Amino acid sequence: MTVHNLYIFDRNGNCLYYNEWNRKKQAGISKDEEYKLMYGMLFSIRSFVSKMSPLDMKEGFLSFQTSRYRLHYYETPSGLKFVMNTDLSVSNARETLQHIYSNLYVELIVKNPVCSSTPSLDSELFSSRLDAFIRALPYYSPRAA
Amino acid sequence: MHKQKYRVHPRKQSTSYVVANNNLTGMADDALFEFLHMEIVSHIYKEQQSGKGEMDNKDRAVCVSVLEGMGFRVGQGLIERLTRDSPSFKDELDIMKFICKDFWTKVFRRQVDNLRTNHQGTYVLQDNKFSMLTQLSSGKQYLDQAPKYLAFSCGVVRGALSNLGMESVVTAEVSVMPSCKFQVVIQKL
Repeated sequence: MTVHNLYIFDRNGNCLYYNEWNRKKQAGISKDEEYKLMYGMLFSIRSFVSKMSPLDMKEGFLSFQTSRYRLHYYETPSGLKFVMNTDLSVSNARETLQHIYSNLYVELIVKNPVCSSTPSLDSELFSSRLDAFIRALPYYSPRAA
Repeated sequence: MHKQKYRVHPRKQSTSYVVANNNLTGMADDALFEFLHMEIVSHIYKEQQSGKGEMDNKDRAVCVSVLEGMGFRVGQGLIERLTRDSPSFKDELDIMKFICKDFWTKVFRRQVDNLRTNHQGTYVLQDNKFSMLTQLSSGKQYLDQAPKYLAFSCGVVRGALSNLGMESVVTAEVSVMPSCKFQVVIQKL
């Protein structure tokens, strides 16, 4: 049971924050390319999902899974995108991502006068609180399942 | 602690935010002032800087004194409102205790942790989790930016004391955030 990594994108596609806890295999491309790839994929899959949905769509794309991991997606009304990869034992990380947004991002970045004029996530306070929060999650353990 | 905080129905995000912050008077009150304060500080610094490339110490001093002056007026008004129902104070120390407890609670949402004095007109008020600094950092990051966000609060304290009959000079000093020391020196006329 574990969290592998977390990305935070702003509404223009810039990756504001990335951290990994338990990633055994890298993508084999540079970090910038990886962020672009992730954002591009999310953009395409969201528009695909809304076009092909056989019913009226409520929240759209939420997550996908492979045989080894699950990717969870949460988008705020302000266009901020939270992407978290966990292993398969975590079925719904939406509340976690919402908590990261409202209690960590809003409190420590938006309300930080130094950080909020240009959304840069340099704040050490944010990094350390986020790290502590992820490690305290009931489904986190340092070793992947 | 985190386990109970994020048990939330996705659609009720705003109420959970209120509960998570233990602020039952309404989240909007505190956040509104925090954002406004951030904007005031940034506006004043931008205005001072417009036209010049760099800010020198004189410019910074002007910004700090403008913010402090604003805080002074706010403090004067606040203290009138807050002492409506209190009895009159016995002496200086009594006034300082009021500032540290009731006033600090109403304005900064907590009490001062430590009050020291030399009994000759100088008081040091220590707040270990000063509300203007908790979102900035917990440690040394952004230490150089901290004074900008303390100037207004210094003015508030000075204004409050002024309307209680004590002229003073209030300065603030930070070494490790969010802990902050306010030094109040009473001016004997």
